[in-house]
Amino acid sequence: MTQTGPPGEVAPGTATSGIVAHGVRRTFGDVVAVDHLDLEAPAGQVTALVGPNGSGKTTLLLVLATLLVPDAGTVRVAGHDPVADPVAVRARTGWMPDVFGTWATLTCREVLATVADAYRLPRPAARSRITDLLTLVHLADLADRPTQVLSRGQQQRLGLARALVHDPDVLLLDEPASGLDPRSRIELRGVVRNLAAAGKAVLVSSHVLAELDEMVDRAVVVNHGRTVSVETLSDAATAPRTWTLRALDQAALLAALAALGIDHGTPDRDGVPVAIRSDAAAAELLTALVRDGVPVVECRPAGGVLEQAYLALTENRR
Amino acid sequence: MTDDVLTAGPGAPRPTAGPVAPAPGAGTWRLTWSGLRTVAVLELRQRVRSTRWIIVLLLWGGLLGVLTALIHYATHQAFAGITDTNTDEQTRQAGATTFGLVVFLVLALGALVAPALSATSINGDRSAGVLATLQTTLLSPAEIALGKLTAAWITALALLAVALPFIGWAYLDGGTPAGRLAVVLALLAVMLLVVCAIGLGWSAVTARTTSSAVLTYLSVTFLGLGLPVLFGLLIPLSQQSERVTTRQMVEIPSATTAPAATDSSTPPPMQCQTQTETIVTTHTERIWWVLAPNPAVVIADAAPMPAGSDHSDVLSSLRSGVRELRLGEPSIRDWCYTDDAESRRREAARQAERERLGATWPYGLAGDLALGACFFVLTVRRLRAPARKLARGTRVA
Repeated sequence: MTQTGPPGEVAPGTATSGIVAHGVRRTFGDVVAVDHLDLEAPAGQVTALVGPNGSGKTTLLLVLATLLVPDAGTVRVAGHDPVADPVAVRARTGWMPDVFGTWATLTCREVLATVADAYRLPRPAARSRITDLLTLVHLADLADRPTQVLSRGQQQRLGLARALVHDPDVLLLDEPASGLDPRSRIELRGVVRNLAAAGKAVLVSSHVLAELDEMVDRAVVVNHGRTVSVETLSDAATAPRTWTLRALDQAALLAALAALGIDHGTPDRDGVPVAIRSDAAAAELLTALVRDGVPVVECRPAGGVLEQAYLALTENRR
Repeated sequence: MTDDVLTAGPGAPRPTAGPVAPAPGAGTWRLTWSGLRTVAVLELRQRVRSTRWIIVLLLWGGLLGVLTALIHYATHQAFAGITDTNTDEQTRQAGATTFGLVVFLVLALGALVAPALSATSINGDRSAGVLATLQTTLLSPAEIALGKLTAAWITALALLAVALPFIGWAYLDGGTPAGRLAVVLALLAVMLLVVCAIGLGWSAVTARTTSSAVLTYLSVTFLGLGLPVLFGLLIPLSQQSERVTTRQMVEIPSATTAPAATDSSTPPPMQCQTQTETIVTTHTERIWWVLAPNPAVVIADAAPMPAGSDHSDVLSSLRSGVRELRLGEPSIRDWCYTDDAESRRREAARQAERERLGATWPYGLAGDLALGACFFVLTVRRLRAPARKLARGTRVA
């Protein structure tokens, strides 16, 4: 690749300061889409934006993508105010919308070339970058086919490539995994992690919490247009959560738990739910059970870290 | 490899470090050639690929061809019926009339087709989810709007180009000066641009494509048919009773009542008499401007007159008709229709007065261009992002 240098040559986070939003509010008539949102997505990290349908995720992303003026609050994207200086924000931000429309009769390559022109990138450099991006999202074979023949998942991947055309410092990905097949999801995870490793601030909104667990560093949980919690996923190992224990002989397991003085939830076909303080405590318990001769076959957190936090925080759905 | 793509090196295109140093506040009205070209090429490419444009152009050309042939035949038949003029003059008049009719035909059919070229441009993109894609790039609202307008206009000009042979045929029929051909073509192009701008504006304002299409057709119909109707409806409002001088034929009051005078076979001797009376006067000079922006009026008024004395072809008649309305009724109403020196002098004076008024078309054209400009400005304002207000039922993305 002639135009690309080694990743190490990129000055890390010079103009990049990620996303900072405080007290963002946005109403549509008498509908409060976003009530009071605080969010920080630092450079070099992947931040998840999770919340139920209608919790204001997409509205917030539209504010960050310079499409909506917030009613209140302060927002900085890559160090610039999206309302006062939208052009500066656009030059540094890649946005992948939840509903990805595409110019149906254009080929994948033409779509990306049009976007590159719209970002005023010099033509020859843009051309080789487009080829690289198409390879990255595995659309090289379909590069010269019109986008209307693409499947939904392929269109999503083209949408990701489109958001990356101008090599932005901040990425706003709205439901990037929807419509993707398992392999594409795993590849998306890799792409997103690499972007963060290259110093970009990545904000991902998604419902697929299990996906996010392995992809994100931090999670901002929103509900009813408000930030209800900010989780750091490295903290999750030391946070109490529910684990599921399953043994060949459930009676022996229950007896052993009783002997160890450990409370548990109602046992079912999947196993016995047990509240455990931390990963270390879980390992300790497992050792004790094995020592006692309980035929344990499974010991796993019930659902992902995010899923548990999410379920705890969003019980009252809209 | 993967990392290379994700983080372009120093030589890679980076808008932050590249030729683009976005100045703060450089916003809505920033226009660059490359931005304009990007949008126009995008639009034209989609048009060419998605519509069966060859079929559209063939149908358009076929329809024009058939109607032009019919107009040509009908006009020449009609003028061949007049035998008291010499054949050269006859051909010239037939040619000029054919030309006028074909021009109006192209104008009318263009007004039917042109709205479809831009009336769904912006709300169509919005509902397809591709408008925000452009808005979040470095393209300015003015570039997006002008690019779309340019693409629609180029498409309209392609229709005009297909119509060119038929207008040319009518021109070769004779009786039309070259200047008239040039002016008419230029104004047809301008009128198509105005229609495209109106369609673009409505597509930016309304959420649904059907609404914008209907509103665009209504707007064009208002200009073409609504204005003449409105003019007609305004006439009663412009009327008032006034004392004016009239000249009319009256019987000569004779002292000697000859018995022959009662005989119906010999009319009584009449004479033209000037008197003052109160009659209803129509002040078209107060409302003529309602007609001025009508595209047919603009084109007819701007088209240079053919050589010769007889200006009875369609374009010339419309031109003198509107200028007559602008002049209003003469101060002396001559209903004697005598061909004496006095009436000839008055007629010449009125014609001179009419010419002194100057052309009507600059007003009409200015009105049309202002209308198109208003719709264009409206479009640009609606394309501004971030948006504070959203129209009812519109999605941002």
